[in-house]
Amino acid sequence: MMLTGQITSAILGIGLTAAILFLVRRDHLHGPYALWWFAVAAATFALGVFPILVVWLGRLTGIVYAPVLPIIVGVSLILIRMLKLDIDRSKQERQIRRLTQKLAILEQELDRLGGHPGRDARSDADEA
Amino acid sequence: MADTPLPLRAADCLAVIPARDEAATVGSVVAGVRAALGCEVLVVDDASTDATCAQAQAAGALSLTLPLGLGAWGATQAGIRYALRHGFAGVITLDADGQHLPESLPALFEAQRQTGAHLVIGTCVGRLSLAKRIAWRYLRTLTGLRLTDFTSGLRLYDGRAVEILAGPEASLLDYQDVGVLMLLAKHGLAIEETPVPMLPRRLGHSRVFASWWVVARYLLHTTVLCLAQIDAGRRHGHAPANGAA
Repeated sequence: MMLTGQITSAILGIGLTAAILFLVRRDHLHGPYALWWFAVAAATFALGVFPILVVWLGRLTGIVYAPVLPIIVGVSLILIRMLKLDIDRSKQERQIRRLTQKLAILEQELDRLGGHPGRDARSDADEA
Repeated sequence: MADTPLPLRAADCLAVIPARDEAATVGSVVAGVRAALGCEVLVVDDASTDATCAQAQAAGALSLTLPLGLGAWGATQAGIRYALRHGFAGVITLDADGQHLPESLPALFEAQRQTGAHLVIGTCVGRLSLAKRIAWRYLRTLTGLRLTDFTSGLRLYDGRAVEILAGPEASLLDYQDVGVLMLLAKHGLAIEETPVPMLPRRLGHSRVFASWWVVARYLLHTTVLCLAQIDAGRRHGHAPANGAA
């Protein structure tokens, strides 16, 4: 019983690590994200293979029912990750909005300098 | 503390008109503004699917075409950034649907000259619906800003306000309303209102007050925004130029 759980966790950890390595190699995950997921994979692996760590951490943190500890830690990490994701998304949204505005301004200035007004912006041609 | 602004001359300002699918009215609005103020008019086409941009140009306006829809405030900010980049002294904004009368625009400049405010809002109190009255009372309490109309799109910004609103700090706002006012109040700018006559919307509809559901969502959204900077309005919002010497 113990061994089964241990093997499951170990497989999960190894699988996750392999998947992350693969994604980094394929350039689908960049820098800080890869590092974060590596840490998650390493933690899953370590806690799975060495359940004694869970007991030790439980005693250290005063959580009486030690097996619940990985779940608490896991959920907390997921929340932190999601928060960071939304922070990043807000930052990108700001950048996209400002780029959109700058693009429109530069396009207008380009047109005024004697480009081809309207050719790119309105390809559906409302001015024939 | 912000310095007291100089009186603005209409001819030195840029009129910014955000427009999405307003081809039916935008031409006459542009012509009206040009006749009333004699200033440059910039229509910011918020990814329209109709001939808004062509109509605006035909009426003699400059135009920006946003490749992605950014909403009313995103479009207005594009115009404000254009004004800053091209050295206009101030920006007057109005809606493209024809509800703001061009002949009432000089009243905003007059109010700015008299009060020395950085922002003058043209309001039509009689026009407010019950939903708006309730919402405004709530927002007055929440923000500490002593205003009667928070979402009026008829506004005159001076150079200092233009500088602040062109910045990244204002880019994540979604409406030209409480967030904009709080930001200006935070920077110590004086905000004034002046009553103006307005027409009911001829076509289209208010983006904020489309339905009760939208109103509720808007108020919730605004509440969070206000709680994040609860002190701004109470510090500066209702103090006109007298504190700025």
